Amino acid sequence: MRPPTAARKRTVRARAMIAVVLGLFAVYGVQAPVRAQTSRMFFSRQLTTTNGAEIYQHICQGCHMPDGQGAEGAGRYPALAKNPDLKSSTFMALTILGGRSNMPAFGAKHGAGAMFFSPPALTYEQVAAVINYVRTHFGNHYTGPVTPAQVEALDNAP
Amino acid sequence: MGESVGIPMTRRRLLSMIGKTAGSAAMYHAMNSLGFAGESNFKEPIELRGAPKGASVLVLGAGLAGMVAAYELRKAGYQVQVLEYNDRAGGRNWSLRGGDRYTELGGAAQECRFDPGLYINPGPWRIPYHHRGMLNYCKLLGLPLEAFVQVNYNAYIHSSQAFGGKPQRFRAVKADYQGHVAELLAKATQRHLLDAEVSAEDQEKLLASLRNWGALDNNYAYVKKWDSSDRRGYDRDPGGGLSARPVLSEPVGLTDLLQSHLWEALAFGDFYDMQTTLFQPIGGMGVVGQAFARELGSVIRYNAKVIDIRQDERGVGATFEDRAASMTRHTVSADWCVCTIPLSILKQIPMNVGQPMTEAIAAVPYGAAVKVGLQFKRRFWEQDEQIYGGITYTDLPITNIGYPSTGYFGGGKGVLLGAYLFGPNATEFTALAPQERVKKAVEYGSQIHPQYREEYENGVSVAWHRSPFTLGCFGMWSDEARARHYDDLCRIDGRIVLAGEHASYLAAWQEGAVTSALDAIDRLHRRAVAAGAPV
Repeated sequence: MRPPTAARKRTVRARAMIAVVLGLFAVYGVQAPVRAQTSRMFFSRQLTTTNGAEIYQHICQGCHMPDGQGAEGAGRYPALAKNPDLKSSTFMALTILGGRSNMPAFGAKHGAGAMFFSPPALTYEQVAAVINYVRTHFGNHYTGPVTPAQVEALDNAP
Repeated sequence: MGESVGIPMTRRRLLSMIGKTAGSAAMYHAMNSLGFAGESNFKEPIELRGAPKGASVLVLGAGLAGMVAAYELRKAGYQVQVLEYNDRAGGRNWSLRGGDRYTELGGAAQECRFDPGLYINPGPWRIPYHHRGMLNYCKLLGLPLEAFVQVNYNAYIHSSQAFGGKPQRFRAVKADYQGHVAELLAKATQRHLLDAEVSAEDQEKLLASLRNWGALDNNYAYVKKWDSSDRRGYDRDPGGGLSARPVLSEPVGLTDLLQSHLWEALAFGDFYDMQTTLFQPIGGMGVVGQAFARELGSVIRYNAKVIDIRQDERGVGATFEDRAASMTRHTVSADWCVCTIPLSILKQIPMNVGQPMTEAIAAVPYGAAVKVGLQFKRRFWEQDEQIYGGITYTDLPITNIGYPSTGYFGGGKGVLLGAYLFGPNATEFTALAPQERVKKAVEYGSQIHPQYREEYENGVSVAWHRSPFTLGCFGMWSDEARARHYDDLCRIDGRIVLAGEHASYLAAWQEGAVTSALDAIDRLHRRAVAAGAPV
């Protein structure tokens, strides 16, 4: 599904600006089919797996680290291991979709995949899978898995 | 010198005449009056004078923005102190050389094992000719520059999905693209399809220009002839003597070219920030930060992790932990503060500024980028493929291979930028261990340069979201966030002003850091002068 025209124009302009800034010519679309039409050279491959562990290992552990312990330098990435915030799958879904504090948005509606430097956009199924994985690993034992439909409903809530 | 009669007086001809007759100063004046040669917003050099007696400034961060601010404010008479998290100056202005150690977030440590003289710039690596602030400070610091090759006609454009994965020379793709487009336009013109848009007189010029631009033959066709080979290259180059006869090359067909998508990589060198001439400091970009650090000396306090920034009506205080002394806490204070800490970190540090600046700081996520440097036993890209500097573009996740614009024809080892990734590719590479990134860069790169397999020796990788001192590559402003928050980010809040590439319209460029610092201290200085000597 293509975003509405006005929004598309806006993201295209933002993308073009970043492209100019960093010398990148290619312009991506938000969704995979649009991408395929606009750039084949510089589109980034979409992560297709719906396995929560694999999604974590391909994306999340870049900041939250392979053991879920987070990290600290001049600033910090929070640990997911034994993190009481993760009790709420709603909190997690909203954080992953829309970003929070230093964490960028991974939801297409919130700009993921929109700009050259944006992180990849995750599908509702992928968001649900990675939530369920994190809430049951790294010493977390939260019950009540979340479904893709619930994630989608949250993303579309007014 | 006489001008022949009857040739229309174009602006260019006029300028050329003025130049010949009146010299370059008159020409420059004429260009200005015709709207060329516009002034850059960089005022060279900045001269702040008359700091209030005893006034002091605390600078947070010894990257380029912080050090430009410290350098100029000290010159103006302020007492300046700089706090820096790292044990070195420069921030993202940085070169990794043999013997350097780098520990990323998560604890993975790397030791760079490059031979002496070889380096990789994990951050910025080029200075366009119009980044006059950067060029000014390089000159001021006595740093010699050399040309950075952006466009190399003999480097490759590569797609794993086109031409059987065989890399194509940039010059061939460019020549074929221009040739085919020119031929199509010429045909359209000759078939009178453009009559509504282009006058008959202009059509004549258009056809002539298309022939010129696209290397078309007398019949306005782009075909295997001298014209095309002279752009795209020969199958056998012309030479001297009996073995001299060149062999023309066959252009790639329009369909194959369009479907290959290689044309996507043609325009990089046309962007304002990538246009010839670009420069690099001799010895690696990091020499700029090192030179500033030498200049500032003990003004910079290293290993200082800022954990709190507090202002009141009298001054600004910053509390930091000394990373070199068991994280013992200290507080320093000054009348004013220039804070260049990246927003990714600043948003986690308590600081009592107003809501507008607080919201602006929170509004900017950081872009992902990864660079990989690879050392090889020899400079095979030069010896085997005649590639001297420049960049190969590929659809593989490594995106770029950068060839060194220095040390040409060296007989020893060589270092390539083996990968420069952004966005989702970078996000995934960040999630790998450092040596895994290097391994992948070697695997992918060997699809373009099979010599990798024999010649590779060692490598280092920097994933910017794992960088302890930035937690990301650069401030990634959206249009919406910029419209709402940018001015609030840059405005002085009480006694604190922010600077850095994140406070510029030159995202990720060093010039953004430099010009934002100059803009910030100019405003801060005026406010300080108005406030008078501290009591």
